[in-house]
Amino acid sequence: MINEKIIELKEVWKIYKMDEVDFPALQGANLDVYKGEFLAIVGPSGSGKSTMLNSVGALDVPSKGEILLDNKNIAHMHESDLAQIRGKKIGFVFQSFHLIPSLSTLENVMLPMIFQGISREERIKKATELLKAVGLGDKLNNLPSQLSGGQMQRVAIARALSNDPEVILADEPTGNLDSKTGIEILNLLKNLNKKNGKTLIIVTHDEKISREADRIAYLEDGKVVNVKKKKLIFLP
Amino acid sequence: MINDYFLLAFKSIRHRRLRSWLTILGIVIGVAAIVALISLSLGLQSTIEEQFEAFGADRLLIAARGFQGPGTQSEGITDDDVSILERMPEFKTISYGSARPGEIEFKNEVKFPSVFGGRNGKELLEDTTNIAEGRYIDRGDDNDALIGSRVAEGLFENEIIVRNKIKIGGDDGKEFRVVGILEPVGNQQDDNTIYITLDAYREVFGETNQVDFISAQVKPGVDIIALQEKVKREFERQRGDKNIDVVTPKQILEQIGTILGVVQAVLVGIAAISLIVGGIGITNSMYTTVLERTKEIGIMKSIGARNFDILLIFLIESGLMGLVGGFFGVLLGTGISLAIGEFSTQAGFKLLVDVNPGLMLFGLFFAFIVGMISGSLPARQASKLKPVDALRHE
Repeated sequence: MINEKIIELKEVWKIYKMDEVDFPALQGANLDVYKGEFLAIVGPSGSGKSTMLNSVGALDVPSKGEILLDNKNIAHMHESDLAQIRGKKIGFVFQSFHLIPSLSTLENVMLPMIFQGISREERIKKATELLKAVGLGDKLNNLPSQLSGGQMQRVAIARALSNDPEVILADEPTGNLDSKTGIEILNLLKNLNKKNGKTLIIVTHDEKISREADRIAYLEDGKVVNVKKKKLIFLP
Repeated sequence: MINDYFLLAFKSIRHRRLRSWLTILGIVIGVAAIVALISLSLGLQSTIEEQFEAFGADRLLIAARGFQGPGTQSEGITDDDVSILERMPEFKTISYGSARPGEIEFKNEVKFPSVFGGRNGKELLEDTTNIAEGRYIDRGDDNDALIGSRVAEGLFENEIIVRNKIKIGGDDGKEFRVVGILEPVGNQQDDNTIYITLDAYREVFGETNQVDFISAQVKPGVDIIALQEKVKREFERQRGDKNIDVVTPKQILEQIGTILGVVQAVLVGIAAISLIVGGIGITNSMYTTVLERTKEIGIMKSIGARNFDILLIFLIESGLMGLVGGFFGVLLGTGISLAIGEFSTQAGFKLLVDVNPGLMLFGLFFAFIVGMISGSLPARQASKLKPVDALRHE
C-alpha cells in the first residue's frame, strides 16, 4: 500500500500573464506523491512552491501538463468538478488560517460539510468531535476574533478534516505562529499523518518542519530539482 | 442546504449591521410607499362604492349633457322632461332638483355653501343621510331648511341650531327656519349643503322650470338597462335632441373606477421608482460586500463550494435584505395608510382603509424578488471569482 502513488505531476507548467510579461511560476515540474507519506516542499521564495500546492489542491489550473489525483487528471477539469475535489479529497490549511469571521468555530468547521449536503445533525456531531480532537472542545461558539493564532489554526485543521479527505495540503501552516505554538501545530499535523494515515504535503521554508518529513522536494525556478528521503522507508 | 444558506446569509447581514440596515431602509421606503398608496386608493374605491350602494342600484340618474355636478350650468332639462318620465309606468318615485352656491346670511355673516332645492326627494335623503337633530323637510315646507353638519358647525362663526333663522339669496332673499341638522356623511360637499324645497329654491333664485338632475327610482322587477334605453329614445323623440344623459349608478361607478385605476397606476408608478432606487441601493451594497468578502469567497471555494453555491448564498443574502425591508415596509405602509384614513375621516372626508393581507403578502414577496434581482449581478460576479485570486485578495 505504501508504494501506491496518490498524486503525480507530469511536466506541469503554470504561466501567469502579468500585463505585458509572462511569468512562468512552474516550468515543467515533475513529482510523485505516495499515499500516506509526509512530504515537505521547500525552496527559495518565487520558486513556485505555493503554485504547485494550489495546482495539486485544484485551487488553480496549470497552463500545461498533467496532474493525476488518484489516477484522474485534474489539470483541465470543469470548475464544479474541481470544487467537488477540493471539498472531498483535499483539506487545506493556510498560513493565515482563512476562517470566516462572521461564523463561530463550530460553524466554520461545519461549512465544508454544508457544501457536501451533509445533514445538520451529522455536521454538528462531526464538527464537535473534530474540535474536541484538536483541543478546542470548550470554544465551539467563539468567533475567530476571540481566538489566538494557534487556536485559529487548530480550527482550520479541524475544518480541513471535516469531509475526511485523503490529502492534507498545508501552505506555511506555522508561518504566522510563534515557535512553541508552531511545534504544537506541526505535531497535530504529524499525528494526522502517522495515526490517521492522511497524506500530508507541507510547503515550508522552516527547517524544523522539513526535517520531520518523510521526503523533501526541493524546488528551484519552477522545477523539482531534488527529492531526498529523510528516513529509511519503503519507497522506490 | 437552502436553510443553511439562509443562515449564512443572515449571519453575514448581521455582521455588517449598519450598512445592512441602511440598505434595507431603501427598500422599506419603497415598499411602504407602494403599500400605502395602493391601500389608500383601494380605500377610496370602497368608500365611493359604499356611498353609491347607499344611493341605491334601482335608479336612473338623468342630467343635461355636460353636467359636471351641483353648481354648474345645465341647459335643457325642465319640468316638461320630468313629466315625460312621470307618464312612464315603470317608475316608482321621481326625485328631482337643482343646486347652486347661494349667498347665506346668519347673524350678519355671509357665506356661500351649496343650496339644494328638491322635490319628491325626502325618501332619498332619508336613505342616504341620518338626521342628527330636528326633522327632514317635506313637500310644502317652503319656509324650512335642512342643513348639513358643516353648515351647522364650522361654516359660520356661530353655531346654527334648530329653529335658528338663516337668509338665503342676499339682500332681497328670503328667511328660512332651520328645522333639521344632518349627521356628517363624510364628504365636504354634502356636509356643506343646505336643503330646501324646489319651490322655495325657484322663488329665491328666480328660476321657473329648470331642473338640474333627476333621480328616478324604478319599480321592482323592471329591467333597468332596457328602461334606460327606452327613456333615452323617449327623450330623443319628444325633445328632438340628444342633450340628456341617462345613466345608472353602476355605470357612474364603473367610470369612476376607470379613473381611479389610472390614478392608482400613476401613484404606484411613482412609488415603484423609489423601490427601484432601493433596489439599486441593494446592488451597490452587494457589490461592496462581494469586494469586501472576496477572500471569504476564496475560502469557501477552497473548501468545496461550487460557483452555484456562492451564487445562491449571495442571491439569498440580497433577497433576505429585500425581504426584511419588505416586512418593515409593509408594516410602515399599512400604518401610514390607516393613519391617513383615520385622519381624513376625522377631517370630514370619509375614507375606509382596511388592513389587506393579500397586499401585505404581495409587498413582502415583491421586495424579496427585487432584492434577488438587485443582487443577481454582484452574486454572479462573486461566483465567477477564481479561487486562488480570491484567496490572495486582501
